[in-house]
Amino acid sequence: MTDIVAPADLWDTDDEGVLFLWVYPDGTVVEKGKLIAEITVEKAQLELTAPASGRLRILVQPESIIKKGQVLGKIEAV
Amino acid sequence: MAAPVTDTGRSLTMARAGREAVIAEMRKNPNIFVIGEDVVKLGGVFGTTVGMAEEFGAQRVIDTPISETGFIGIATGAAMAGMRPIIEIAFVDFIGVCFNQIFNFAAKTHYMSGGQFKMPLTMMIGYGGGYNDAAQHSQCLIATLAHVPGIRIATPADSYDAKGLMHTCLRDDNLTIWMVHKRIWGLGWLGTALKTAIATVPEEEYAIPFGQARIWKEGKDVTLVGYGITVHAALQAAEKLAAEGISAEVLDLRTIVPLDRDAIFKSVSKTGRLVVADEDYMNCGVTAEVLAVVAERGPRVLKAPAVRVAYPDVPVPFSRPMEDYCLPDADKLVAAARKTLGK
Repeated sequence: MTDIVAPADLWDTDDEGVLFLWVYPDGTVVEKGKLIAEITVEKAQLELTAPASGRLRILVQPESIIKKGQVLGKIEAV
Repeated sequence: MAAPVTDTGRSLTMARAGREAVIAEMRKNPNIFVIGEDVVKLGGVFGTTVGMAEEFGAQRVIDTPISETGFIGIATGAAMAGMRPIIEIAFVDFIGVCFNQIFNFAAKTHYMSGGQFKMPLTMMIGYGGGYNDAAQHSQCLIATLAHVPGIRIATPADSYDAKGLMHTCLRDDNLTIWMVHKRIWGLGWLGTALKTAIATVPEEEYAIPFGQARIWKEGKDVTLVGYGITVHAALQAAEKLAAEGISAEVLDLRTIVPLDRDAIFKSVSKTGRLVVADEDYMNCGVTAEVLAVVAERGPRVLKAPAVRVAYPDVPVPFSRPMEDYCLPDADKLVAAARKTLGK
């Protein structure tokens, strides 16, 4: 099991972001390094990639406000 | 509509889907380059060119000064010389300064040279309002462009079509314009994305032919015609109408030029009633062209007068309540559909 975390270096400021979109539905098997979510901060669209290969488990719904370091989901080993 | 190749279940925004098509074509064809304002560092005001400068370098992703006439002229000349330029113009509102290059050169050179020069030039343009950006940043101006021969205009309504129509634009030897409504592009700062605009997008390439409308929902009582963002208003309206026992068909024009006149007439022949939605200005607009199809081919298929729900012929107000009053939306389409049914 690997946590999907909004990386502390994904954006420079201390602003909150918005989890805009999950690319795959909950339960999809994803590959490490693939784009899995889009995060919006101010006018920037940022990419979140899978930290590991496995089954995607979504914890934070789209359109939610998020902070750096927050756990957004998990990757379960398959 | 061609069946999706392999649906991998990837939900992409329209911005990302369009970009995927551009990147795929650029990898295959070294003659394709991108030119426009803020395409290098910013990746395009609406994210159309994110990551391209890093992959393709300064020769193929070119930032310009704020001089649309200049860089459209450059691109037009390059297209005549065998290149396949892509021009990024963020807001259609500013296209007026480019009219001479677009209307008199890019749109006409193929014809006036007797076909000796092709014009494989694609413009990526954002349009539309609904996010309080006032009269000079909220227009559609699609009918303005559609009026001039020599220009093909694709107006995708979701990310599946955004990718497929972009591939078709980039493979065409004519001037093509790929226009996306800003509110469905999938950029967080332009408001909550419409869920129906975020489709699942195959990883493979696929090209959607121009001039083929798409039926999003079949119905038998009334045809709701739209394109781009108004498709989503029509889908919402169809849902509301269904609750009242009214079965609405939702037809997406997909490309304004060429226009799928057959699909329009076929649908209206079936339902007998027509409501046309457009966020572009009403006067001499796309809604009138759709009504003209029915008037010319057989107005007797209509069981009731057709209704247009287009933008009133006024500048787009900055004030939110005033803008909302003007914008076509699901409720206005529901009221229009009821009117055609005498309800």
